[in-house]
Amino acid sequence: MTDKPLKSHVRPPQDTMPGGAGQGCPAPDAQTRSIWRRIMDDFADHCRARSLFVLHYCTGCGAIELPPTITSRFDMERVGITPMVTPRQADILLITGYLSLKTLKRVILSYEQMQGPKYVLGFGSCTINGGMYWNSYATMKRLDQYIPTDLFIAGCMPRPEAVQQVLLKLIEDIDAGRANAWQDYYRNYDFYLGNQQRLFGAGWNTPTDVIGEARHYGYYGPGTEGEHTRLLAEGGGSAARLAHAEYPSTALTGRIKS
Amino acid sequence: MSIPARLNEVLNELPAIQARPAGARRVRVDVAPQGLPALLELLKGRLGFIHLSAISCVDWIEDGQFELVYHVWSHEMKLLVSCHVRIAREPGVYVSVHDIHEPAGFFERDIHEMFGVHFDGAPSMEKFILTSWEGPPPMRKDFNTRKHVEETFEWVDYRPDWLKDIERKGGGIES
Amino acid sequence: MRLLADIVLMPLIAFITGLFLVLMYRRVRAKIERRVGPPFFQPVYDIVKLFAKKTQISHGVMHDLSIVLLLGGYITAEIFLPVPGFKGLAEEGDLLTLIYIMMVPMLGLALGVGSCANPNGSIGISRALTAMLAYDVPLAVAIIGATMTYGTTNLVEIVRIQQEGGMATWGIATMPLLAIGGYLAVHGMFGKEPFEIYIAPAEIATGPMVEMSGKYMGALFIMQCFQLYTIGVLYVTLFLGGGENWPLFLIKVAAVVFISVAVTNVYGRYRTDKVVRWMWKWPTGIALLGLALVMAK
Repeated sequence: MTDKPLKSHVRPPQDTMPGGAGQGCPAPDAQTRSIWRRIMDDFADHCRARSLFVLHYCTGCGAIELPPTITSRFDMERVGITPMVTPRQADILLITGYLSLKTLKRVILSYEQMQGPKYVLGFGSCTINGGMYWNSYATMKRLDQYIPTDLFIAGCMPRPEAVQQVLLKLIEDIDAGRANAWQDYYRNYDFYLGNQQRLFGAGWNTPTDVIGEARHYGYYGPGTEGEHTRLLAEGGGSAARLAHAEYPSTALTGRIKS
Repeated sequence: MSIPARLNEVLNELPAIQARPAGARRVRVDVAPQGLPALLELLKGRLGFIHLSAISCVDWIEDGQFELVYHVWSHEMKLLVSCHVRIAREPGVYVSVHDIHEPAGFFERDIHEMFGVHFDGAPSMEKFILTSWEGPPPMRKDFNTRKHVEETFEWVDYRPDWLKDIERKGGGIES
Repeated sequence: MRLLADIVLMPLIAFITGLFLVLMYRRVRAKIERRVGPPFFQPVYDIVKLFAKKTQISHGVMHDLSIVLLLGGYITAEIFLPVPGFKGLAEEGDLLTLIYIMMVPMLGLALGVGSCANPNGSIGISRALTAMLAYDVPLAVAIIGATMTYGTTNLVEIVRIQQEGGMATWGIATMPLLAIGGYLAVHGMFGKEPFEIYIAPAEIATGPMVEMSGKYMGALFIMQCFQLYTIGVLYVTLFLGGGENWPLFLIKVAAVVFISVAVTNVYGRYRTDKVVRWMWKWPTGIALLGLALVMAK
């Protein structure tokens, strides 16, 4: 039972407005797509499911379970899963073990630098409820409060078999077009930012202009902006400039492209 | 295992010191707060205890005291000496040994952050490891971790709807 | 009309061949590590996946242009290659033009990396240009020797000379030392271990590619296909008699890449200065010796 991947516990999704405020490229829902579009989407999903680059975030424990998964013992390249070294190129963010407040900040920054569709896997009990480190001032308890998590692997430690199982489940979900948790970050950015601000203080913000991206890519929803995102604007105008002082990032020079 | 004669000789020069062996290559020394800098100075100068490997802190809340432990190692004697000092918990002020062992600055800054002990003469008492932390020093015994956890974080829903469905059908994790 | 068809078809064939070479590269690597390796369509999946990314970050006009230079450089190079059945521009251009065009992608990459602020990228590109400086010296010596032997820089002519005389007139038979020196330089051009100083995933996080995401990364994957093919064809043309017909030609190209891939997997990574020192010592030395022999004849 412990090795069984649990479906992430996410809030009931709010109603979303496809196309958002009418800017950028709209994201049509499944019903209104043309046949041509549907075939293309299915083909893209087919390819996405068979080519996954994993960024391992291993500051907690459990990194030792991954070498057998990747290398000759189980060889995940058989199903097209390869380790990657930068968030820009990666599709999956695999987070092993506990996250302290300090590392959680880095995880959020890495997550925002990844390009969608992107998937987050929580590895080990610590990402679900804090695990054996729950009674601590410095470790966060639930990963899916701060970034949208696709799947969790329960257990302490999950064995490579469990990692494989969750990756196969993710492949199945992507193939069926179900693994869309990353869009939730755009649609309900206020919720995630609120939780982040609760830990890091009201001055917290990241170099990535998530609201702008949500508008541009058509993932703008009623939950994108709210009381928490208003704090971003109040914190000295440009959110990016503030964050730059603390985290010099290349995302600053970036601009969005469709 | 007994205390080496050379070490005993040095320790006898200082007043109010108790020393006893605490395992192979390890000696525990209890010293009064005002005697510690002199002790470290002597150990360093005479016996080559040049490596301060850590300063640890224990909060004895019932006694109203902090216990500071200075671990010094001599490459010459291959011996670890742990110098125990007890200081009053209030106001929790002690003297820095940064002038004797330079790395002490970091340990003292860490202890200041985690326990709130203030070290006079330390190079810096700024924030160090903890980020985004406004509360009291978290390693003090009077800091209620559980309360903090419950106020700051949300618990997982251990009985989500899909599990209730399974339980209705006679399954679940408790059956 | 014929030229137009060639301009379309030659890069297309190069790309498809390149996909197979990439697959071979990954399969061989897997076999050496006692793994099963990726499925047959893996290179295609990777490229389609990267182009199907739904969000994309760009770092300005230079960053966008660098991709054009990257792919454009190699696509142009394909048209100048002498391959069986196609004329392209191989007759008009020559060896020096080809070598010149093959430098364009690396410079394009440098321009693109310059516009993003990632320090890993800057380190990576400076290492890449250093590596280029290192392997270009033995390559230049080998090419000078080859042109002296054949008496021409025209690629079609070089292939014709080798094919008319049979295997005894192949570059590898008439100037073995130059062929060895040239091969070591070619191995450096592939940018694999022990000369992958500018990729170095564990060290500088894939260097120049660190800020390339989504579609840009897809373009780089395509570039890798072209790169393996182009370098392979260049070596085959100079030293292995070019292509009599397509099956033989492809076997030769695959053999060049295969030897490099098989060697790659048993090495770690040299330091940048060691790469330069090694490249200027052994391949250059061997090639210079070969050049002396060629001049003495």
